[in-house]
Amino acid sequence: MNQFTKKTNSPEPGAEPGRTQTPWVAGLIFKMAMMMVIIAAAFWARVHLNDKTEQLAREKNRITREIQEKRTEIQTLIAQRETLRSWDNINSKIKQYNLALRSVNPSQVRYMKRFEGQVSAPSQYSGDTRVADTSAGADRTSGEVQ
Amino acid sequence: MTLFRSMAIRMALVYILLICGFGYVARVLYSVQISRHDELFGKAQNTYTTRIETHGTRGEIFDFGGSLLVGNVPTMDIVGDPANIYILNKKDDEKTETECRMIADFFEKNCENVNSDEVFRRLSKRSFISKDANGKEIERECHYAVIATGVKYETAKMLKEKVKELAFHGVSFTSSYRRNYPKNTMLANILGLTNVSYDTFVPIQGIERSLNDAMTATSGSMVYERARNGRPVTFTNSKSEPTLDGYNIFLTIREPLQAIVEEELDLMCERVKPHAAWALLVDPKNGDVLAAAQRPTFNPNDRGTMTPESSANRLSELAIEPGSIMKPFVVSYALDKGFVTPNSIVDCEQGVWKYAGRLLHDTHNVGKVSVSEVIKQSSNIGTAKISVMMGAKNLDNALRSFGFGQRTGIQLKPETSGIFRPLEKWDSLSVSRFCIGQGIAVSPLQLARAYCMIANGGYKVNLRIVDRIERGDDVRVMPVIRESKSIFANPTTKKMITDMMIGVTEAGGTCTDAAIEGFHVAGKTGTAQKVINGAYSNRYYASFVGFVPAEDPKFVLLVTCDDPTVGSRYGGSASGPTFKAIAERTLKYMYVQPQLSREEWLAERSAAQKALHERKVREDALVQARREARDRQLKEQQAKQTAKKSGTTVASRPASTSKSSTIRR
Repeated sequence: MNQFTKKTNSPEPGAEPGRTQTPWVAGLIFKMAMMMVIIAAAFWARVHLNDKTEQLAREKNRITREIQEKRTEIQTLIAQRETLRSWDNINSKIKQYNLALRSVNPSQVRYMKRFEGQVSAPSQYSGDTRVADTSAGADRTSGEVQ
Repeated sequence: MTLFRSMAIRMALVYILLICGFGYVARVLYSVQISRHDELFGKAQNTYTTRIETHGTRGEIFDFGGSLLVGNVPTMDIVGDPANIYILNKKDDEKTETECRMIADFFEKNCENVNSDEVFRRLSKRSFISKDANGKEIERECHYAVIATGVKYETAKMLKEKVKELAFHGVSFTSSYRRNYPKNTMLANILGLTNVSYDTFVPIQGIERSLNDAMTATSGSMVYERARNGRPVTFTNSKSEPTLDGYNIFLTIREPLQAIVEEELDLMCERVKPHAAWALLVDPKNGDVLAAAQRPTFNPNDRGTMTPESSANRLSELAIEPGSIMKPFVVSYALDKGFVTPNSIVDCEQGVWKYAGRLLHDTHNVGKVSVSEVIKQSSNIGTAKISVMMGAKNLDNALRSFGFGQRTGIQLKPETSGIFRPLEKWDSLSVSRFCIGQGIAVSPLQLARAYCMIANGGYKVNLRIVDRIERGDDVRVMPVIRESKSIFANPTTKKMITDMMIGVTEAGGTCTDAAIEGFHVAGKTGTAQKVINGAYSNRYYASFVGFVPAEDPKFVLLVTCDDPTVGSRYGGSASGPTFKAIAERTLKYMYVQPQLSREEWLAERSAAQKALHERKVREDALVQARREARDRQLKEQQAKQTAKKSGTTVASRPASTSKSSTIRR
């Protein structure tokens, strides 16, 4: 029996059972391909990251600009508000519309006792100058238009 | 053999050439990478790195409650790039000129204070000649031509859109801001103002100047590598130094009180038409300046209203002879050291007294009165006599202990320390004149501080106008500087001098106009002659200063009129009513309860009136008795003379007859 011409599926004598033989070139190509894939993936990841960073930076700049604009608008509005609430302006409006405003009077201040609904005595709030004034002067001034 | 030899030679040559080549390359590499590394690396960096300088905003000024007094208003500067306009028009002169003219006309039409011809001239200047480091003249491209500055933000925003629509080349908008004073004239002389030099604020006066260092922003920068389109490359190294805004300043000023004081000061100016006027409201406990106003003033938003007169800060820079408002300091010292008591009698010489060869007058004749009456009636002679009794050294101690001749410590620059000669340079007259506010010059701030000391029981306190400075979480509070030891050794001194000063606003005092219903007002009038060209003139500083409520003062208020021209020129009548108006409104604002009911207050007033009447009756009776005695003496003399002539003796009339006749008269 010519054992050199016989076709057989049986493994080579001496080879381990179950192990497939791959040519070394294919292995090399596979390994290189894997390396290339890893390098490409790393490269792609880096490019993608940079792109993402750029996008975020652009977005950040846009939002910063918007915030800056809003701040500018707020500053402008604050300046307008402060001009409007200046006493000059308020006084001119009072005169313009002839508003009969009354000056505040300390005698108007009353402190009520909590839950009991009674006007408290001044001595109960020692240390606080804003206590109830029961003097005749207080009655006289309340409701007085100045 | 020959063939091998020639090949060997060739190979040797090639080797030599290669070695030489590598050697050259190595040398070049050494030069590039090591020897000239810094130079070349710097050059390369310059081409792809950019440095941007960022500017913060100047600190703003607020009142105590956070109401804005000086702020920053965003504006925009519009600039052109002449060289770029030329290049973008494909270097076509005619086209460039047309575009420049269009730009100039557009901005003249839409912006304030823009002149079309001027803008056109600037935009048309594409290059300029300058000198390089060697002094050689070179032509440089012009990339900066100002079109408009300080354009309002809304206007600039609208213009930016239009410029985009019209596709003007080489026009850019840069953000900037300008100083804004939303309350216009309010507190203008104290706040001060700034000028602008290029990008820098230059403070001129007031708080803007004295706290400039704190308010100035710190510029930052950012260095980054840029891409071809000029945008920063985010994934490379970039360095940045942070920009810091200036500190915001919070003053001790209360805006509502400031408004009250300014309004009443305006009314006073209408009433007495003075050359100038000022008012100062101070908390005596901690020296906080609650309000400070002066007239004339100016509007910092409109520099046209500025004159040397209106822009001067009189409160801290002006030193004047104060007049009679100095008297309480001398008397309080004399009371404290036991030289006199409130009831000690001082002979005021009926209005004329000669001391050190010079006459001293009172405005009205006062005879022998108590020390309380000296203050109440503001007797120059009485005060001078007390001062002479104390001696020069004690007077010097008294005035210096109240802080005269020293700055008040307020955060305002410049601040005068007044004129108060050292003791060695006093003349014989000084002791009788300094005590009545002549020969000594003090600032309104010094006066207010000295009255704070009387009001708070003798504790020397530095004035404060800046309460705190803030930048984000960084808050720095300015400390209250108050001495722990009172200048009064006697604890009753404060009460004694306060009672005397209360008399000033009661019947018989020099300023009943300053009395406030429900409160005891301790005050003092002052009418000081102005020194003009080294001599006393017939112009006056009319002042009133006081504190309310007298027993537990909430504030010290000084009101001064410089040369009132209408009505009375006395401090009591010119400044007194304004003091009352400001004090009344301030008490209401502070919610200070009246000490007395209307009935009690009226009763006190009528009692004082009655006491005054009784005193006048007594004085009249005394004067009449004196007259009577004089008449009797005269008659006796006449009788004696007649008797001598006739040789007979006439008996003198009984005193009772004489008295009854006097009464009949």
